[in-house]
Parts: sequence; structure tokens; C-alpha cells
Amino acid sequence: MSGGDGNALIVEGVYTAYDKANVLEDVSLRGEPGKITCLLGSNGSGKSTLIRSILGLTPPNRGRIVFDGTELTGLPTHKIIATGIACIPEGRKVFPKLTVEENLRLGGYQEPSADVVRGRLDQVYETFPQLKERKEQVAGTLSGGEQAMVSIGRGLMGAPKLLLLDEPSLGLSPILVKENFNTIQRINEQGVTVFLVEQNVRQTLAIADYGYVLSKGRVVAHGTPEVLGRTKEVHEAYFG
Amino acid sequence: MDVGLFGQYVMNGLMLGMMYALVAVGFTLFFGVLNVINFSHGDVLTVGAFTGLATYLGLSAIGVSWAPAQVVIVLLVATTCMAGLGAVIARYLVLPLKAAPALNTLLLTLMLGTVLREAVRLFYPLGANPQRFPPLLPTTAYSFGNFTLRVDSVMLLLAGLAVIVGIHLVINKTKLGLAIRAVAQDEETAKTMGINFTLIVLVTFAIGSGLAAFAGILHGLYYSEINFAMGLLLGVIGFSSAIVGGLGNIYGAIIGGFLFAALQTIGVLAMPFASAYKDVFAFGVIILIMAWRPTGLISEKISERV
Repeated sequence: MSGGDGNALIVEGVYTAYDKANVLEDVSLRGEPGKITCLLGSNGSGKSTLIRSILGLTPPNRGRIVFDGTELTGLPTHKIIATGIACIPEGRKVFPKLTVEENLRLGGYQEPSADVVRGRLDQVYETFPQLKERKEQVAGTLSGGEQAMVSIGRGLMGAPKLLLLDEPSLGLSPILVKENFNTIQRINEQGVTVFLVEQNVRQTLAIADYGYVLSKGRVVAHGTPEVLGRTKEVHEAYFG
Repeated sequence: MDVGLFGQYVMNGLMLGMMYALVAVGFTLFFGVLNVINFSHGDVLTVGAFTGLATYLGLSAIGVSWAPAQVVIVLLVATTCMAGLGAVIARYLVLPLKAAPALNTLLLTLMLGTVLREAVRLFYPLGANPQRFPPLLPTTAYSFGNFTLRVDSVMLLLAGLAVIVGIHLVINKTKLGLAIRAVAQDEETAKTMGINFTLIVLVTFAIGSGLAAFAGILHGLYYSEINFAMGLLLGVIGFSSAIVGGLGNIYGAIIGGFLFAALQTIGVLAMPFASAYKDVFAFGVIILIMAWRPTGLISEKISERV
């Protein structure tokens, strides 16, 4: 870690609460530049809350979150996005009444140059040719797999340095889940730092460089996939 | 009935429908981005009309008497000022109450409407009386039997139509419009796209309130008269139009506005002996439509009502 904190996601001692009840307690972790860092945990462990805290949707009450040298804590969401972060939200959250292309264009909302946006659109269509065929179709009428493509493509439209993924495999068929993980790996190979929140332990650990386990709002274990695979906390977090 | 007279009613109905549609679009835009009802909207229209009148008087006082220049400046000043007022209302009254129950916002804007209305009555010189609005457009008229085609009416209709087409283009063809639609569908996801939510809300309130001012000037130019209470009924009608069209949908609001005007016109035509009852008839039919389609003709946002 001698290269400094450039591009790293740093979460330090974060407490986040809804209506005074703490959901996250003293959470600290790092997403190393260019790596895939994963966060495992069962339902209700606070994984999505951490994503919301990073994005400023539910700002933390204590602690700090830093990305690429910029303190995110206290910034409004659009300024957090401007530091080079994109999110592929839980449940995909495509805008159902907007067309596929409009959804994608929103992903590149902060890019002022129309030519750059056009170029990125072409790239997304190259990755997902199906979306090109359906670009004028309203996103709400797409299949689950196609909506997942829109959500991922939309996340890439901002050319992020850091991509947050919140349970991307939720609700997809096993084949699509596998494809999804392959896509994540390809995105990472292009130099994008990935922070992946998942319940799907095996496939997540297969692609991650480092992982954390969250249980009842606290980090209970962390380490390389090999170490985590053998840790009892991982099993307890899911089955305990 | 005489064709000429019928044409006259249609013309009048179209003009009314245009005004209602412009007001209704504001209601539906505000509801779209923030899920709130802004009951001061009708009174913003009144303030806009009086701002226009004051601008005209000011222009005359400094010697600008060329009517085309006057009408353009009156429109610009009124719509710009009300756009500013709308943004201020959103920033300091509506957004701070975002976490509160929607009823609170409704009550607050209702009170603000009263404040605006009473302010016009009390502070505008002789504001309690109807004020003559100057004829700034050519008053030429052509008669065809019982039908009189006023050039100014045609110009007003065309201007209104241009504004509605303009709104359609802004909402559907621009980046701003895309952001407004995204915020209306899913506020949080819109934020994570990098959209400045607060700014979009302020701009939306500015657009809606500017439209109200435009409708107010339209009203003044058409009837040659404005008064401090004009926004009250126009507000209720605009709100009903937005609801009956399906709150949150701008085309629903436009259809609702013209529908309401059509109902009033039909009320007059069907009951010439009781034309004073035209509003009773129109509101009655609206009530029946709402009983038949509780979410409006083009329903929006049902699935998002969790």
C-alpha cells in the first residue's frame, strides 16, 4: 500500500442510523484501487445501508468516507457521483417509463460532451447488442435479464473510477448470474475499482481480491477469499 | 343553433382551455417531482397578472408606448418574476417540509396563497377593485355572420399553443426534461445518476410558476380585466384539470384543461337559460369522471404509491 490512497475507497468508523437505531456500527473497510472488494452478509446485516451511506442517501452520523482523496461525508449525492462513482443499485432500479436509451443517457448525466456520451453509448451497445435492438423500448417492459443489462450499462455510462454494485445477482437465473459475474470481472479488468455487495458467497469470493463480512451492522471478518472461505464467521453470518 | 354563434363558443372554449391547461401543467409538474400539491399556484397566477399590469404602467410612465414592445416586456417581466417566486416558494416553503406529511405542505401553500391574494388586494393601489388590463394586441376583428374573429384572440391561442408545444419539447427532448422525468419516477435513483435534485425541483417550480404568470397575462389580455381573486377559481379549475387528467402526467393535465373548458361550454350551450350554472355542470361531470376513474384519465404513479 505504498502507492498512497489515490483512487481508494476508505470507510472509517462509520455509524449510520435510521430513526436513531444504529444499523451500522463502527464499520471500517477499504476498497483498493483497481481491485474487486466484496462485502458479504445476510439480509438485514446493513450491506445496503453502507452503500446508501457512501452515496450520501443515508448519510452517516459518525465516521468518515473518503474516495480518491475527497471526503464524501456530508456531500450531496450528485457531488459524490462527480468524484467518479457509479452505482448499480439493488433491484436494478431502471426508470420504468423511460426508454432504454434514455436510461443509459442518464448514466452519463454529468458528462457535458454529447460526443463523449454518444461514444459511450456505442460501447454499451457493443457490450450488450440486445439493448441496441431495444433502445426505443420503455425499460419497464424488458425482461429481468435485460433490465440488469440496462442497469450495468447505465452504471458504465458515467465512466466511473469506482463502481458500487448492490446485489447484482438478486432475482436472476443461474445462467444470468454467471454472466453477470463475468461482466463484473471484465469491467474490473478495464481498470475500474469494484465494490461488490453480495449474498452469493461462492461466486463472489471466486472473483474478489479481498472481502469483508458484515453481521448485525459490524465487520466480523475480513481477508482474502482463500482465508474467508475457511472462516467460520462467513458461515455464521449466513446460517448462524 | 347558428353556426357562427357555435363557432364563437368554441373559440371562447379553446381560450379558456388554454388557460386551464397552462395552470394544470404547473400542478402536475410540481406533483411529479415532489409529490406535493402547491395550492398557492392560482394566486401566483394573480400576482403574475398584476406584475404584468404594473410593468405596463411603468413602461407607459417612462414613455415606452409601442404596443409590441410593451406586450413582450410585460410577458417577460411577469413570467421571469413568477418563475423566481416559484423557485423561492420551493426552496423556502416546500423543500424544508419534504420529510413532513404531505398535508402540511398543502396547508402551508394554502395559507401562502391567501397571503399573496390579500397582499394584492391590500397593497396594489385600489387592489380590491377589478383593474382594467390594457389591450396590447391589435383589436382588429372580422365578422362572419354571428361569428366575430378577433385577431388578438387568434394571437393568444397561437401563443398558448406555442408555449404548450415548447413545454412538450423541453420535457421530452432536452437533458433538463430527462432529468425532470427521472426525478419524477424515482428520486433516489435519479440522485445516484448525478442529478442535482434540489436544482431540478427549483427549476420545475420556476417553469410551472412562469406558466401560471403567462396564463394570467393571457386572461388579462382576453378579458381586458384582472382582479385579486382571479387565481382562486383558476387555481381550483387548474387543479381539477390536473387531477382528472391523471396527476403527474402533463398530457393528462392539458387534456383535463381543455376538457373542463369544453364542459363549461357545453353547459352554456345545453342550458342557455341557466348559463350561470356552467361551473356547477362542469364540476359535476368532473366528479362523475373521478368516481368512474379515481386516478384520472391517464393514471400515473399508481405502482409507486407504496
